[in-house]
Amino acid sequence: MVVACVSSHLRRTGDGAKTFIILLCHLLRGLHTVIDKEQDSLISKNIQTHRRHWKNCCQWKFISQALLTFQTQILDYIMDHYLSKHFLTIFSSSTEERTLCRSSLELLLEAYFCGRVGRNNHYFISQLMCNYFFKCMACESGFEEVFDLVDDYFVELNVGVTGLPVSDSRIIAGLVLHRDFSVYCPADGDIRIVIVTETIQPLFSASASEFILNSEAQFQTSQFWIMEKTKAIVKHLQSQNVKLLLSSVKQPDLVTYYAGLNGISVVECLSPEEVSLIQRVMGLSPFILPQASSQYEICNTASVKFCKPLTLRSKRYVHLGLISTCSFVPHCIVLCGPVQGLVEQHEGALHGAFKMLRQLFKDLDLSYMIQTSDQNHTSSPLTYKDSRESNPLPEIVNGLIQRPYQGTVVKNKGNLAKTQTYLKVYSNLVVPSVELETCIPCSTPKVTPTDTYQTNETLRCLAPTKTRTIDDNEPFIESNSANSTAENTGIEISSENLQVTKIAGKGNMLPVREKSLEMCTSQSYCCSTLPAGCVLPVGGNFEILLHYYLLNYTRKCQQSEESVVSMIIANALLGIPQVLYKSKKGKYSFPQIYIRTLHALQTSQPIVSSQKGLESVAGKYQLLTSVLQCLTKILTIDLVINIRRQPREMYDQDSDEEV
Amino acid sequence: MSRLEAKKPSLCKSEPLTSEKVRATLCVLKGILTSSYGPSGRLKQVHNGLGGCVCTTSQSSALLSNLPVTHPILKILTTSTKNHVSCFSDCGLFTAILCCNLIENVQRTGLTPTTVIKLNQHLLRLCTNYLKSESCGCRIPVDFSSPQTLLCLVRSIVTSKPACMLTREETDHISALVLKAFLLTIPENTKDRLILGKSIIVPLKGHRVLDSTVFPGILIEVSEVQLMKILPIKKSNAFKVALFCASLSGDLSDTGEGTMVVSSGVSLENAVLEQLLNLGRQLVSDHVDLVMCQKVLHPSLKQFLSMHQVIAIDRVGVALMEPLSKVTGTQPIGSLGSISPSSYGSVKDLCPAKFGFKHFLHLIPNEATICSLLLCNRNDTAWDELKLTCQTALHVLQLTIKEPCVLLGGGCTETHLAAYIRHKTCNEPESILRDDGCTQTELQLLTEAFCRALESVAGSLEHDGGEVLTDMKYGHCWSSQAESPSVVNWPDWLSRCGCGLCNSQEELHWSFLKATQHPIAPQTCLPHEATGSSNNLTLDCFTAKLSGLQVAVETANLILDLSYVIEDKN
Repeated sequence: MVVACVSSHLRRTGDGAKTFIILLCHLLRGLHTVIDKEQDSLISKNIQTHRRHWKNCCQWKFISQALLTFQTQILDYIMDHYLSKHFLTIFSSSTEERTLCRSSLELLLEAYFCGRVGRNNHYFISQLMCNYFFKCMACESGFEEVFDLVDDYFVELNVGVTGLPVSDSRIIAGLVLHRDFSVYCPADGDIRIVIVTETIQPLFSASASEFILNSEAQFQTSQFWIMEKTKAIVKHLQSQNVKLLLSSVKQPDLVTYYAGLNGISVVECLSPEEVSLIQRVMGLSPFILPQASSQYEICNTASVKFCKPLTLRSKRYVHLGLISTCSFVPHCIVLCGPVQGLVEQHEGALHGAFKMLRQLFKDLDLSYMIQTSDQNHTSSPLTYKDSRESNPLPEIVNGLIQRPYQGTVVKNKGNLAKTQTYLKVYSNLVVPSVELETCIPCSTPKVTPTDTYQTNETLRCLAPTKTRTIDDNEPFIESNSANSTAENTGIEISSENLQVTKIAGKGNMLPVREKSLEMCTSQSYCCSTLPAGCVLPVGGNFEILLHYYLLNYTRKCQQSEESVVSMIIANALLGIPQVLYKSKKGKYSFPQIYIRTLHALQTSQPIVSSQKGLESVAGKYQLLTSVLQCLTKILTIDLVINIRRQPREMYDQDSDEEV
Repeated sequence: MSRLEAKKPSLCKSEPLTSEKVRATLCVLKGILTSSYGPSGRLKQVHNGLGGCVCTTSQSSALLSNLPVTHPILKILTTSTKNHVSCFSDCGLFTAILCCNLIENVQRTGLTPTTVIKLNQHLLRLCTNYLKSESCGCRIPVDFSSPQTLLCLVRSIVTSKPACMLTREETDHISALVLKAFLLTIPENTKDRLILGKSIIVPLKGHRVLDSTVFPGILIEVSEVQLMKILPIKKSNAFKVALFCASLSGDLSDTGEGTMVVSSGVSLENAVLEQLLNLGRQLVSDHVDLVMCQKVLHPSLKQFLSMHQVIAIDRVGVALMEPLSKVTGTQPIGSLGSISPSSYGSVKDLCPAKFGFKHFLHLIPNEATICSLLLCNRNDTAWDELKLTCQTALHVLQLTIKEPCVLLGGGCTETHLAAYIRHKTCNEPESILRDDGCTQTELQLLTEAFCRALESVAGSLEHDGGEVLTDMKYGHCWSSQAESPSVVNWPDWLSRCGCGLCNSQEELHWSFLKATQHPIAPQTCLPHEATGSSNNLTLDCFTAKLSGLQVAVETANLILDLSYVIEDKN
């Protein structure tokens, strides 16, 4: 399952498989130690009767849900608030028109290829890729299209040649089709091409139809007709100045013969991908054969600059100088290498690099819950908590009582644990009080802090606002007493919302009216975007930064499960730079780097990186979310059923678990 | 129920090069390769204990494709060599031996792979830049006005394949033939691009090598009976030729995906035959003299054509189609209906020929770049080797046309290059060390390993127990006869250097190749016309050797960079 997760992640982003595994290991290890430690503290008397394993499972599940919450909320929040100020951009100017900075791209690619291509030629390959990219890009703004195209049609856009040294790899303009001409007629000037997807020669009978032959003469006439028809079509193509016929099927001898007679080159058996690439680049659609009349106009032609055979290592290819109608200027990479495996490795690395860049140049959407709390609109969760602890609560509630049902109370209906990021905002004005009454029984089990995850889950579902709403209905004193018991869980509940504070952006979906209800905790769905092209220096910078901010964050919200989870993640993150700097000594050893970075952060100095390369933030972010998702998957599984097939019978082999 | 076999776990080995077993196998492979290298190399007989054909060879392509190599590291080495050979035909053994030497020598230095790879790349760049530069002392430009250089090049290739079993006279004969065959493929008047023709090698085994000949045009093998039918060929100035790529056997062509219903009494065969005969009539009325078909001709059509004195040859095969259409200037016809007159071609003459027990029809073109090389040798294995050799030589000549220069052979390029690198790294180490953070000691260690690797390639040309020396002026490679006294007057014992350019009567100083070499600045030794030294040089293909050098260093780097080998044993 882990492997499946890694490969699906890799398919999408083309980066971070090794980091994925390392991070996952560290997370699991971290979880184990935490669980071991907490075992005693968490087990209360009523749970002890349960089976140990079962309890463990519950715990795992609980943690996995906490992880999900972390992933959907805390992470985005931290990314947006703290980390984003450290991000560098790959564009040379931060103005509206984004121009790619070549040197930063080079650094980025070099760092990327460092781990993928042997030391022998990683510099060469990254230069090649960089050149390729800049050659393919027609205008500054169109690079996203270029990435999409190259990623989708990567196989068609490169040619592998074995037996030559890697340094002979090069970029050639135009498109190289991986086959030879069936007929080649040298042509100059305006070369027009057509694409066909069926045989030009009409056949005796189409599918699901019958052709009845009554006499020999009829047979001969129909053959003659076929011949004449083919001739006419080819002649017509010639009259339209068509010099090249691209066909996705094999054409009969007759067609290639007439094409040759009329000076039309033919390339047969194109793959569907090649056809669609040509269509996309040139905006050319296949030529549909007219059924009846011979008078027709071919509108689906396009011009090419040249069309010639290309010989690479005694194998012949078709080389087309396509004229692009989109922002992608077709170029091909000829990858050479002494052995096939090396060529394939380089191909894979280049493809991965394009995937990585494709991700990098997309805006990354961050979305998380925003909770506007307090009169003060405090941005820090800490303040919010403090305000509760320093007992302004009665006042708040008092305020609420004074204005019963006045404002909107936001209820969190969606199950947060299920990655449901949509939060429906309900106005409590329409909610009848009966409904509120029904909620009261719910709150009763809630108050017992000893209960397992289920109650916590419920708590989470029914956001704290509800508790408070209930409080409104009850006499103040009563609610206060309930509150004192609910406090512990309450903090935990809020903590998940706490991290989400105000955010600059469009996403504030709360109606203005709600602003009047400043006392109440209100939640709203918020999104912000991480601009495309964010990069950080390599060498675990991202991890150390995230670690630092997560630790800071956990310090602010103690006692909660969330903080434990954040802590685990923060520590696991640190494992990556640890591995990276393992072989380094002295000034560049891990502790040194770590301390230096932390110091720089605390004194808010710029962080000096010892390495030159850059890496994509979007890639790192996605890596982290993928790892967390994988982890939650692993944790929710309580039992592995091993099915072993044996010669005589098949049976399921269970562990000693009763399900 | 299919049997299920338990999946074996993958095998993972770390630091594969440090294992004693790998070193030993690498050493064995190197031994096989070095002992086959060069004109005096020993032959290898590759055969299966169960019987079957036996291959006697000293060529890398034949050797490596037959050797069962199991270890992944050796596989990389052999595949990379094979791929190189399939690109350039030549310098396969050079590449493989250099790669083995590099791996061995570098391991002995004990430097970390990172440093080794960086420095190796620098040294390789030094080499390639030097070889490509004008000042290169081991490169000779090719003079196309005289065949001498090219002939030397071909002869060097032929002599370096001892498994062909050629005498001196035969070697000269074959070299001249190959060069002639190559020259016949060059078009007389070229426009912008030079498009070379093709030499077709026609086998004739069991005959004397001296019977080999080369013809312009194409030899088509025909049976004696067929030839008797064709004869006598009427004389004319030119023969009109039609070449068919479509089948003329009377089978129905593709009828589409639907069904075809034929009423009773309708014979499609007759209809098709009628069509074929119509075609025959058109050919006759167009005065076609020779009809050739890639596939099968219908017997009736054949008879019809021969009745009208049209020569018909079928089953030509797809391989001959392109040369045939080039020789005759025809366009392969794919239609059974009307034939455009522009599809016809012509040949100047058509004559029967008999070589040994084989009968041929010889198509003599007006002007074409296709020739046939009739190659004879005494037995199968020797013929196979000779054929490979001729193909290599033809390919090398094509490469030389593209890059008109050659390198000195006989080990001189290697020793010269080694001397140059030593000199360069000793006198200007800053240029290499500038950006890399390697120390001077590391550079010196690796330079020594690199140069030694090059020199031992040159040294492995000697198989008869002689000493290999290098001179201190040009850095060429010299080899003495066996059992020479330890302290001698070298000029008397040595006559010429490996490539034949330098004469021992000049004031030269020698040192053993095995001894410690002192850095010298090697000078260029120019060929002197007067001494006649340029007539008998040993030369190597520039492009192939340069690429071989690059591939060898790259492959060695790749192998040295490996820290794990993970094998799927299933």
